[in-house]
Amino acid sequence: MKKLIALLLALVMVIGLVACGNNEAPAADAPEAEAPKADAPAADAPAASDEKVTVTMIAAQYGNETADWWVGFEEKFEAANNGIDLVVDVVSWNDIYTVVNTRIANGEAPDLLNIDVFADYQADGLLLPAEDWVSEETYAKFFPSFLEQSIVDDVVWAVPDLASARALYYNADILEAAGVEVPTTWEELKTVCEAIKAYDAEIYPWGVDMTTDEGQACFAYYAWNNGGGFVDEEGNWTLNSAENVEAVNYIVGLVKDGLTNTDPTTETRYDLQEMFASGKVAMMIGPNQISKYCEANGGINYGIASLPTNGDKAGASVGVMDRIMCFDNGYTDAEMAAVTAVVDAFYDDEPYAEWVLMEDFLPATSSGNELCAQANPGMAAWIDVIGSAKFYPAAKAEWADVKLGVIDVLQQVLLGEDAQTMLDDLQADIAG
Amino acid sequence: MNTSKPYTLVRKAEPYLWILPSIILMSIFIIIPIGFVFRMAFSEVTKAGLVKGFAGIENFAKVLKSAKFGLVLKNTIVWTIMVVVLSTVLGFILALLLNNEFKGRKIARAIVVFPWATTLVIQASVWKFIIDIDYGALNTLLKTLGIISSNVNWTPTPEAYFGWEIACGIFVTIPFVCFTALSGLQSIDSSYYEAATVDGAGYFQQLFNITLPLVKPSLTVATVLNIIYVFNSFPIVWTITKGDPASRTDTLVTYLYKLAFYNGKQGEAAAVSVIGFLILLVCASVYMVSTLKKGED
Repeated sequence: MKKLIALLLALVMVIGLVACGNNEAPAADAPEAEAPKADAPAADAPAASDEKVTVTMIAAQYGNETADWWVGFEEKFEAANNGIDLVVDVVSWNDIYTVVNTRIANGEAPDLLNIDVFADYQADGLLLPAEDWVSEETYAKFFPSFLEQSIVDDVVWAVPDLASARALYYNADILEAAGVEVPTTWEELKTVCEAIKAYDAEIYPWGVDMTTDEGQACFAYYAWNNGGGFVDEEGNWTLNSAENVEAVNYIVGLVKDGLTNTDPTTETRYDLQEMFASGKVAMMIGPNQISKYCEANGGINYGIASLPTNGDKAGASVGVMDRIMCFDNGYTDAEMAAVTAVVDAFYDDEPYAEWVLMEDFLPATSSGNELCAQANPGMAAWIDVIGSAKFYPAAKAEWADVKLGVIDVLQQVLLGEDAQTMLDDLQADIAG
Repeated sequence: MNTSKPYTLVRKAEPYLWILPSIILMSIFIIIPIGFVFRMAFSEVTKAGLVKGFAGIENFAKVLKSAKFGLVLKNTIVWTIMVVVLSTVLGFILALLLNNEFKGRKIARAIVVFPWATTLVIQASVWKFIIDIDYGALNTLLKTLGIISSNVNWTPTPEAYFGWEIACGIFVTIPFVCFTALSGLQSIDSSYYEAATVDGAGYFQQLFNITLPLVKPSLTVATVLNIIYVFNSFPIVWTITKGDPASRTDTLVTYLYKLAFYNGKQGEAAAVSVIGFLILLVCASVYMVSTLKKGED
């Protein structure tokens, strides 16, 4: 009997402490379903004319100004649309996946969601096709190449809200002092790095981020500029192609030769950005926001160039795109019209340009492009870059596994494993 | 004396009524959520978080087949044993020092509490800053003192990173052990030491034959609680390395976090959580059984 009591007590103690211990994890800190579910009428009941239709939305927090921007948008939208109550929850990137999944699991999916991924929600049949909730006028504004990134089974399931592209940032003063030009090929890159190292051993010639945060971008920079990549033209996974193996070996070789920051597996892009702005890193690949960061923190003499390629192979920038999607919550005509009104208002030229410029992103619509280029002449070059950028195959259901898989490959090879073997294993895991 | 049947029933039920609110609270906030974790561990869960049906032991089989799991489990055991054992030894030694009468003892005790009173994420961030090769306080200090001439890479390997994480874990755990041991030390009657001194016992004889046996119950409680807390600790490893590179510094908790929120494999993450729960249950059971057995003796 005593043993039984002891076991029960142990069970209770472990349960209690496990629960307390778990409070330390960020996941537990995630705000839970902060906003009330839209008290929309039942799907088959038309909204009464004097009743407001509520549209709920979860939006990703891109920076310090995001929440305020959405508050302003809600106010303006509701003033112009008396019959619609717009409720936007702005959630940090750390918590947004947990919050969205919790809401879905509880049957409280938002009407609109602004996030980066969509394939998992589409695979579960939770989304509506874009043509159901985006007006023709708004739909015509998007670049076709952007819409293509959200196609599954020939249907567009989400529309882009913004984009960013990557380019080579270099410290012009350091390159000049080292007596070298901006590298355009991998061979030149290595030579330039060696020259910078010889000029000042305290400077890291090349910034590399292989962390869990964004190691997949590192893989893409070198694979795409060596004729490789994640998928072939038919969309089949080609993770263990010879070009990818060569790309992994090249970047790991730069790290092992001491031409990069010392710890690429723990130093994120943000760490590199700080080191670049302070002159500790001479060159790095990064998004357009780095320009603003450098101007605000030190004002180094920097320049921007295309990513180096292997020999004369075709180059490509890495594009990153976030999306807006609509959950299938069984809408009445009035509710669907309200959702469309919100989307139309968001992509209206003036607020949309304001939204994109707010956090220094790139627009995903043609009219937004023109307005942004007028407001910020420095953005014009970036708009060209994003036009030729390649995107991650985020529409494929295996993408989350591939993303972590290539990061793991980079880290394993850095620890001494063979790139070909690691990529073969990953290809077998993903494609079977 | 009122010995009527209803009165006796009320008296018998009274203790249960008193603990009823706690049981209700525990059920709502602890037992039911843990029940959900068990349910997920045996369910097919989509990446969007929808439970699609019963999956049997499929999630457990996938986890156990994964090449990473063995490495992560080994890391977790090393992490737990190193942090718990070393923080217990060091915390006990510190408690012995703080139990002596000396000037400024109160201030010293207050200082010892600091690491415990600070959020773990802040602690881990500070440690990460200290060992940073470029801007770290350790390199700056050593260079200022003239001990080194150029920056030293304190984390050249994953093992070195893990070592620093363990050091951080020990640092933040010592105060808890220290104060638990200190409370035990203060309850020891000084007459035991006086008698031992009269009998000619030396410092170490007194330590091993009087102090340790009498402080043992306090240290045992601290150790069991620490095993559970340290085993489940997330912020230190996550803040310093996120388990990178290639899971070489992952523990079960950071591993399951990545499975759930980076890979979207919530069923497998729940299975890892259940495995951790069972390991802790065995540890706690051993302790509870042995404690109650001793009480019986």
